[in-house]
Amino acid sequence: MRYLLEPFGSPFMQRALAEALLLGAVAAVVSVFVVLRRLSFVADVLTHTVFPGVVIGFVVAGTSGIVWGASVFAVLSTVLITVLAGRSRVTEDASMAIVLTGFFAVGVVLVSRQTSFTSDLTAFLFGRILTVDRQQLVVTAVIGAAVLLLLGLLGKELLFRAFDPAGAEARGYRVLALDLVLNLVVALVVVAAVRAVGTVLVIALLVVPGAAGRLLSDRLAGITLIAVGTALLAGWLGLVASWQASVNHGLRLASGATVVLVLVLLYGVAAAIATARKVRA
Amino acid sequence: MSEPTGPVLLRFDHASLAYGRARVVEDVHGSVHGGEAVALIGPNGAGKSTLLRAVLGLVDVVSGRIEVLGSTPARARRDVAYVPQVDTLDAQFPVSVGQVVLMGRYRDVGWLRRPGVRDRALADDALEAVGLAERKDDRFGTLSGGQRQRVLLARAIAQQPRLLLLDEPFNGVDAVSQQALLAALRRLQDDGAAVVVSTHDLALAHLACDEVCLLNKHQVAFGPTEATLTPELLRAAYGGQALELAGDSVIVAR
Amino acid sequence: MSLLQDGYARRALIEALLVGALCGLVGVHVVLRRLSFFTMAMTHATFPGVVLAALVGVDLLLGSGLFGVLVVLGVSWLTTRPRSDSAAAVGVVLSAGFALGVALLSAQAGFTRDLSAYLVGSIVTVQTGDLVKTALVLAAVALTLALVGKELVFGAFDRGGMVAAGYPAGRLDLLLLLVVELTVVTSVPAVGTIQAVALIVAPAAAARLWSDRIGPTTALAVLLGMASGVVGLAVSQAYQVAAGAAIVLAACGFFVLSVVVAPVVRGRPVPLGVG
Repeated sequence: MRYLLEPFGSPFMQRALAEALLLGAVAAVVSVFVVLRRLSFVADVLTHTVFPGVVIGFVVAGTSGIVWGASVFAVLSTVLITVLAGRSRVTEDASMAIVLTGFFAVGVVLVSRQTSFTSDLTAFLFGRILTVDRQQLVVTAVIGAAVLLLLGLLGKELLFRAFDPAGAEARGYRVLALDLVLNLVVALVVVAAVRAVGTVLVIALLVVPGAAGRLLSDRLAGITLIAVGTALLAGWLGLVASWQASVNHGLRLASGATVVLVLVLLYGVAAAIATARKVRA
Repeated sequence: MSEPTGPVLLRFDHASLAYGRARVVEDVHGSVHGGEAVALIGPNGAGKSTLLRAVLGLVDVVSGRIEVLGSTPARARRDVAYVPQVDTLDAQFPVSVGQVVLMGRYRDVGWLRRPGVRDRALADDALEAVGLAERKDDRFGTLSGGQRQRVLLARAIAQQPRLLLLDEPFNGVDAVSQQALLAALRRLQDDGAAVVVSTHDLALAHLACDEVCLLNKHQVAFGPTEATLTPELLRAAYGGQALELAGDSVIVAR
Repeated sequence: MSLLQDGYARRALIEALLVGALCGLVGVHVVLRRLSFFTMAMTHATFPGVVLAALVGVDLLLGSGLFGVLVVLGVSWLTTRPRSDSAAAVGVVLSAGFALGVALLSAQAGFTRDLSAYLVGSIVTVQTGDLVKTALVLAAVALTLALVGKELVFGAFDRGGMVAAGYPAGRLDLLLLLVVELTVVTSVPAVGTIQAVALIVAPAAAARLWSDRIGPTTALAVLLGMASGVVGLAVSQAYQVAAGAAIVLAACGFFVLSVVVAPVVRGRPVPLGVG
């Protein structure tokens, strides 16, 4: 037990833990919808389209500008993607891939004109959870609250649409508008995650917890609980692992990546349990 | 079949429907009264689903009119319930039977609010009406096809609609579920609602429906069941796919 | 043209042409079979292979190629299990692969520089040996697709019919996934991970807007792939921006142009998609 609590003596590790837990919990709830609606690719696209916003925000206003830049691009790309998914001439996944790579390339181009190219790039893409400050925690908390509020208020309509889009349309719900809301929620999580785990790794938080929950439960409440639990556990254990590796074994492991690896491991455990259940049944 | 006593709840006034610039259904004309059941019959691709969607206001009416509950389809939608084909839904989805039926109450509950005691009571009654009250907490996907279709009907009933539209609800449904569906529809009709059901099953149309609309991209006929389900008219609708057997009896190849 | 002056610029140009052609060839099938997300996942999941190969000291192409084969087999198995959500599975694999690669890499010094090279490619540091490898892969892939191209198209449109006709549809699917994997592994060092997806998808998607037949579509995709390489490199030289990204923007530009111009030129509405 001491092993698991040891790393969190210092304020920066405590903040990192708080960020990981907050972000993980919110992302996990969203990931349930991502998995139910099969939005993994859309979520992946959104993580990449936010990237140029991150760079522009940084160039214009330094680290505090990142969230603003990301938010603007989050909204822009959400609208673009929702519209594209509704009416595409080329197959939907090809046009999404093109949007993803195009936006990302814009971000890379912008970063490449900076002198601190390589380190900035990795910070944006993979985050630096260990340098999270109190302001970032507040940002995460606010965005998290907004996301949970939106999902709480619109949850039943989003569920209806997810289960039966034709029925929802017949009932008079505007499916496109509901999709826009959910995509926006995903984009908001990406914005919140940018500083901590970066845009590339946040996809893990947006897919894996929900996927693990789905493996183990057939009820929405159960899936959500398991998803949140998995994300919280991964955040904690991931930080412990990377700290212990660094302090006791001299191995520098990127913290964000370690959290994701633990998350995937937990998914593996869930998969094993699910398979065992099926075999026994 | 008793004489229709209710007011006209659905009226087609030489309505033609189109998707964009392509006309898909021409000249539908007829009316449906409260308490009546009308069967929508025609081969695949005839436009039955399109017609149902037009009643919901989801398809353009390019000439003529469709009048629903005395108003336009879009404005009347609150009181119109639609039951889709059950195989369009994901059987793995983590919802319970009870949750699905409760979805029928969402529109009336409104945005930002949770279903209340009355909503849950209505949902329970609806589930009772289709004979599946004891399966309320089971996952939707664990029910048989016919049972799932009944749950979708219960969802529609929970809406307390005045007009009910069903898209081929009897396809591949077992006898028990078929009976349950018919009984529930009958109760709705007794309460004054009108029912429009698209189907391939002529025997069912004879059994349960007051009127029939024969459709094949245009209206072939719209009238009382006995008078409309004649070999000649069926042949006209199915375009040679109908076989005549022993005089009046007709077998329709799907 | 200043592009052809220096040795490194000349090699970069040749690599861009080779990679563009390779991606265009394969891209047609990726677009037909809606494998864009899968390709995306492949670029992320093969990353640890590159790191491991570098760690062990094995040739990068070989090492990441072998690792990639494992990943393809793994994802194929995951997605063929009943009651599996393939999108989520692909998402899990993508996350796992990339995180693993980052973790492994971060344990080394020079973390950020190596990572950047992987992400944005380093076409300007390409050596003659790399050119030879790319050319060989291009030849191999071109040969494979020439041999089984029409069967692959058949399978994309009507898998049921193909199985009924006695073709080994499953094995053909796997073959294509491996070809995509090989293309990814070859293109990533040149243009970077995410950019490789662009070069595979965008020229082919653009070509699809101009033609309904596989032959012309493939030819156009190859042409657009190569053109993107040339234009991208030129822009990169002129404005001092990352070459890989410039190539991608060129490819996306061709696509957007096609979306706008093709329906006008062809005089009729563009097909709604390929199945």
